[in-house]
Amino acid sequence: MTRSMRGSAAIVGIGQTPYYKRGTSPDAEMKLALRAIVSACDDAGIDPRDVDGFVSYGSEHNTGQKLVPGLGTRELRFGALAWTHGGGIPAAVGIAAAAIHAGQADVVAVYRAMAEGSNQRLRVAVTQNDTPAQFLVNGIDMVMQRSAMRSRRMIEVDGVPAETLETIARVSYYHAQNNSGAVGHGRMLTHEQYAGSRFISEPYHLFDCSRENDGAAALILVSADRARDLKQKPAYVLSVPMGAGADGGSREDNHEPYTSVGMIGLAKRMWAESGYGPADVDVAQIYENFTGMAVQSIIDHGFCTAQTAGDFVTFDNLIAPSGSLPINTSGGNIADGFIHGMGSMVEAVRQIRGTSTNQVPGAKLSMMAGGPGDSMTSTGLFGAFETL
Amino acid sequence: MSAVQRIRGGIGADEEYWLAIERGEFRISRCRHCKSWMWPANFRCGKCGSWDIDWEPVEPIGTIYTWTRNHAVSEALAERQADLPYVTLLVELPQAGGARVAGVLEGDETALKIGAQVRGRILPPSDKAKGYGSVVWSIESDAA
Repeated sequence: MTRSMRGSAAIVGIGQTPYYKRGTSPDAEMKLALRAIVSACDDAGIDPRDVDGFVSYGSEHNTGQKLVPGLGTRELRFGALAWTHGGGIPAAVGIAAAAIHAGQADVVAVYRAMAEGSNQRLRVAVTQNDTPAQFLVNGIDMVMQRSAMRSRRMIEVDGVPAETLETIARVSYYHAQNNSGAVGHGRMLTHEQYAGSRFISEPYHLFDCSRENDGAAALILVSADRARDLKQKPAYVLSVPMGAGADGGSREDNHEPYTSVGMIGLAKRMWAESGYGPADVDVAQIYENFTGMAVQSIIDHGFCTAQTAGDFVTFDNLIAPSGSLPINTSGGNIADGFIHGMGSMVEAVRQIRGTSTNQVPGAKLSMMAGGPGDSMTSTGLFGAFETL
Repeated sequence: MSAVQRIRGGIGADEEYWLAIERGEFRISRCRHCKSWMWPANFRCGKCGSWDIDWEPVEPIGTIYTWTRNHAVSEALAERQADLPYVTLLVELPQAGGARVAGVLEGDETALKIGAQVRGRILPPSDKAKGYGSVVWSIESDAA
């Protein structure tokens, strides 16, 4: 890599509101966004007025220009939106880091706020406008059925054991038991409960599906130089590739390879730019809209193959602190809470700080895979100072 | 038919597909220049750069590439609520370059599996298909 922004920016602040059941937020969506950003600034020891860049992804409505009055922004210098939904999370961090690297902004907030009551996202923003006629005319509604069909073929043709889906769900609930803020806290998921739960879209059971919450989460990024003088242990941005391959992009499920969730090329770029590989990763947050998509994300990243997935994607191997790759250590989208995966990005930072409720001892390399199966997606590797 | 509110989620290059369905024809787009099948439809052939697209009649026969049985739908598909559970497919069309079209399965599900051969039947516009014509698929009885 001759050109790279590896390590030039760092995440120095994290902030989050509680997760509320969808549609029950006591606050308007904009207020949730403000609360998360101000909280992240407090965490970093930065005056909220000094945030001069705003980046989000997907259908975020709370633009930087709308946040200016409430934050008291001194000067808005940069704003951008990554062109995709959950697939845009590491990409949004990458846009923020690029802006800092290029001198376009100094303090950038990356955030996501959702309140169904305010924006009616599920009912309006996504289902009405983003789903092509090919699907809606034929009884297929947004991503769930399409993901289920992809996982069906992953299981039956690629040979990935169906049990791996249950493993992802049970690992998430296991981790949620130590996280008092998690939606799934106090509700351990047993094999019997999983197997006995109703099908939503076969092969997905109820527990294979994330359910959107109301809430907001935010990160604050600054340059690596500035990060050293702030309150928190920085999480350096090592590599955050976004994109799609030649046979990817928006193809209405005619992409190749079909069962891939679009991460194969991204992972290669991430390992090349960061200088690390799958075996080096201490802990990973694997965005799981649906469990089967997370299994394929693990495969796409090279942690295992379809042939070895049955050996790798096991409960013991994926739990903290003892597994070889603890994943979704806050409970993930499924059992912590789902504000389009942004909570997982916050957890990836906590692991580097050593403050997770399911801390992986000495974690230095922390990965966050964006939404699997988005027609453009992204992934990211973050590290402690020693990894630079 | 032009009174039907068209769905905006795609790129808007597939109008000829739906108009053909309304005439009772199943057509898939193909580059006039390099003959690549193009699905989903597009305005330009990304392989050769041609802007000239043909809509070729294709026999609605294919194989089940993958499927799911739906037990829940959101408000966006309220008109399908009464049909639950129902099976949706991706149907691979070998005679159209392996294009994969989405569809609903009708009839006997006993032989439902990836690789099973299916035949499409064109339905006139209906409320269930959001005012569009559509193709529904049934599994061909096993010759053996």
